[in-house]
Amino acid sequence: MDTTTPLLNLINVSKRFGGIHALKGIDFEVRPGEVHALVGENGAGKSTMMKILAGVITDYEGEMRWRGQPVRLKGPRHALDLGIAMIHQELSVMPELTVAENIFLGRQPLKGGVVDWPRMFREAEASLAELGFEHVNVRDTLDHYPLGVHQLVEIARAITSGAQLIIMDEPTSALSPMETHRLLELTRNLVEGGDKSVVYISHFLEEVTWVADRITVLRDGEKITTLKAKNADKQELVRLMLGKETEFFEESYIGAREVEDTHELREPVLTVRGLSKPRAFEDVSFELHAGEILGLYGLIGSGHFELGEALYGLLKPTSGEMVLSGKPLRGNPRRAIDRGVAYVPPSRRSGLFLEKPIYQNISLPWLAHISGFVPSVAKEVKVADEVIHRVGVRPPDPLKEVVFLSGGNQQKVAIARWLVELPKVFVVSEPTRGMDVGAKEEVMHILKEMSAAGVGVLLISSEPETILAAAERILVMAKGRIVEEFVDQQVTKEMLLAAAAGEMVEQPA
Amino acid sequence: MAQKSAETTKPPSKLRAFLAKSREYAPVWTLLVLFLFFSVYSDSFLTLENMGNILNQVSLLAIMGTGITFVLLTAQIDLSVSYMATFTGVVAAYYTAAHMAQPWPILVALLAAAFLGVINGVGTAWLGIPSFMVTLAMSLIASGLSLWLTHGRIIFDLPPLANILGSGRIFGIKWLVIVAALTLLVGHLILRYTRFGRYVYMTGANPKAAELAGVNTKGIVTAVMVIAAVTAGLAGVVGIGRLGSATPTAFDGMLIDAIGAVVLGGTSLFGGIGGIPQTVIGLLILGVLRNGLDQISVDIYMKTLITGIILLVALVFNIVFAGKKEG
Ligand SMILES: Nc1ncnc2c1ncn2[C@@H]1O[C@H](COP(=O)(O)OP(=O)(O)OP(=O)(O)O)[C@@H](O)[C@H]1O
Ligand SMILES: [Mg+2]
Repeated sequence: MDTTTPLLNLINVSKRFGGIHALKGIDFEVRPGEVHALVGENGAGKSTMMKILAGVITDYEGEMRWRGQPVRLKGPRHALDLGIAMIHQELSVMPELTVAENIFLGRQPLKGGVVDWPRMFREAEASLAELGFEHVNVRDTLDHYPLGVHQLVEIARAITSGAQLIIMDEPTSALSPMETHRLLELTRNLVEGGDKSVVYISHFLEEVTWVADRITVLRDGEKITTLKAKNADKQELVRLMLGKETEFFEESYIGAREVEDTHELREPVLTVRGLSKPRAFEDVSFELHAGEILGLYGLIGSGHFELGEALYGLLKPTSGEMVLSGKPLRGNPRRAIDRGVAYVPPSRRSGLFLEKPIYQNISLPWLAHISGFVPSVAKEVKVADEVIHRVGVRPPDPLKEVVFLSGGNQQKVAIARWLVELPKVFVVSEPTRGMDVGAKEEVMHILKEMSAAGVGVLLISSEPETILAAAERILVMAKGRIVEEFVDQQVTKEMLLAAAAGEMVEQPA
Repeated sequence: MAQKSAETTKPPSKLRAFLAKSREYAPVWTLLVLFLFFSVYSDSFLTLENMGNILNQVSLLAIMGTGITFVLLTAQIDLSVSYMATFTGVVAAYYTAAHMAQPWPILVALLAAAFLGVINGVGTAWLGIPSFMVTLAMSLIASGLSLWLTHGRIIFDLPPLANILGSGRIFGIKWLVIVAALTLLVGHLILRYTRFGRYVYMTGANPKAAELAGVNTKGIVTAVMVIAAVTAGLAGVVGIGRLGSATPTAFDGMLIDAIGAVVLGGTSLFGGIGGIPQTVIGLLILGVLRNGLDQISVDIYMKTLITGIILLVALVFNIVFAGKKEG
């Protein structure tokens, strides 16, 4: 692995967005055949740096070298031609196209000038099989599949492009533990040959230390250090990332927790009975109590996200009932909001108006309450300002457009909206996706505060860490059914996984 | 504009800010350049009377364009507006000729337009048919209704109110211009200052996110289709007064100009960006261009070509501007 010329160098690279100094004089090197991980807090500049490597951002100061030669990328196409492919944090797949088309987007195999469909399907199948994901039919349009598959397709696209440098910006944020595991192994295999390299961004330090050869830590746009992954200690990494000692998320590293239901008054705020929706979930019954955090864990595709949608009126169940404080819950999101149900979708893109200022994102459900027929921008800004300070959006400027925030901070905006008026039931799907440990802890703190104020929180996630960090009671879903309940006992990550996967094994191949 | 306090975040580098702004203000520059060009190359262009002419010429487009602005802001399109204008004018004249008491013919006509707008809206929002297809079909229906009602004949019996609004004056100003200005103003106030207006913008910016935030996006889309139909109908009623008769194809040809003016002004075809001020600029560009080309005695057979090219350039800008990602 000791080839002398690095595959890629950044020399003294800086990037400003208006007043924000996103990167400050970065030196960075990727050697052939290595997995180089990049870690740092939300907003540290990781995505910005990778966008420079992938030709998405072209105006920066400093120099980039490819195989020792200075280059100035003209755009993403140029980067691809050189052999640099990127898996973006915000997915760039097209849900209306087939899986195969998405994999070969922009480089479909041609025969006599027209797309060679049979060959494209064949090769798409082969590449997914190589990734170990045979359960996906490449002829289906992508919108048939959950977010995890979108993520896989994006990964397959980068890998099959034949690129020498593959940049993965939080590739596992939508993957199940099993899929994550496979991706990590695949990433190792990819670099085994010694000519390909991977830059790997993730907030999961466990993944990072497992997969990477070297780790570079960014903080506030500065490179703190690059160290060998072998020598890296997680506590030490966190200290480097945050620049301070923190007691954080310990549970997620131990991967176990005492689940304890401390509520004397078991007053159900939401009762779900026999709820079914074909192809999504079946015969689901449970109670959510005021003031508790109920974790709903499941692998991607187990129907837990769909259940969340149904509670918010986005999906009409075909049978069963939902009762909120004694009255049936039916209808659309507007009615759900008015009854006191709040919802955060698993993919933040579908919940936010990226091109609009933060305050408009936050005030939209409450316009009628904040002011009358004529919205008062001053009042909206004031309301938004208060809640974004509470969740710690950085920068806390309500007039700023959401697109200018880093991924994690966008997510905080999506949550902050529901602090304007406390709901009775808060359905949150993957609230901490793409967040650093510090921000995760902040979000968990917010959820705990809300539950302390009497809100029933339904925490839906495919990340065992997220569930274990906050839930007081845990339901596990598999193949559309609730298969397990954990209460008043020691729960580990392995127990959750086993419960969620148990059903899957019995399924005929 | 002077930069005030440092309360807001600092602007990007001066050049970048200038470029970004100039792209946003491209329509304004276009208007200024055209205006200066025609002022220099024609003596008859820059006269008070001719300025009045320009306003007069774009007034019907302005009324129609107000509704189209609403529709484009929700990322939909309405290809039936000009045919609805014709239809509404025909209905108003038809019932006047049939001696219905005034002002009922006008009200009936506008209601009929609104009804067609509801069909457009339901087809788009509830049945999920792309709006360009629903409204394309609607353009045939409206056009067919006009032909059927008139049997191809011209109707000269017009509601008196249509005559006044279409060709009357008050204090030397044409009623037509006043109606157009009022329509634009009301449209602007609604879009800019009401909750409904905000919903229109947010629905266009991201329909899924709007739905998740409790906005009745189907209702909003239906509402803007009805607004477009009613403003088109108003244009038709005022328009017959201006022409002095109702013919079964009177305003059909205005479609491209009406949508073109809105897009020229900078309202995005992808929704969420733009508004009435932009539409006003777009209308003036089109008006100045059409009128100016008349003044400088360019080959009349080239006028349409030149207008088309300018429209295309503006569309390219529109797409490029809407497609910008990284600031
Ligand atoms: N297009 C942009 N315009 C203005 N500011 C931006 C833009 N993109 C990023 N920034 C700012 O640059 C900083 C670095 O953002 P970046 O997206 O690189 O963070 P990140 O390390 O990837 O964070 P995360 O883990 O949340 O994804 C942030 O303060 C962000 O707000
Ligand atoms: Mg990022």
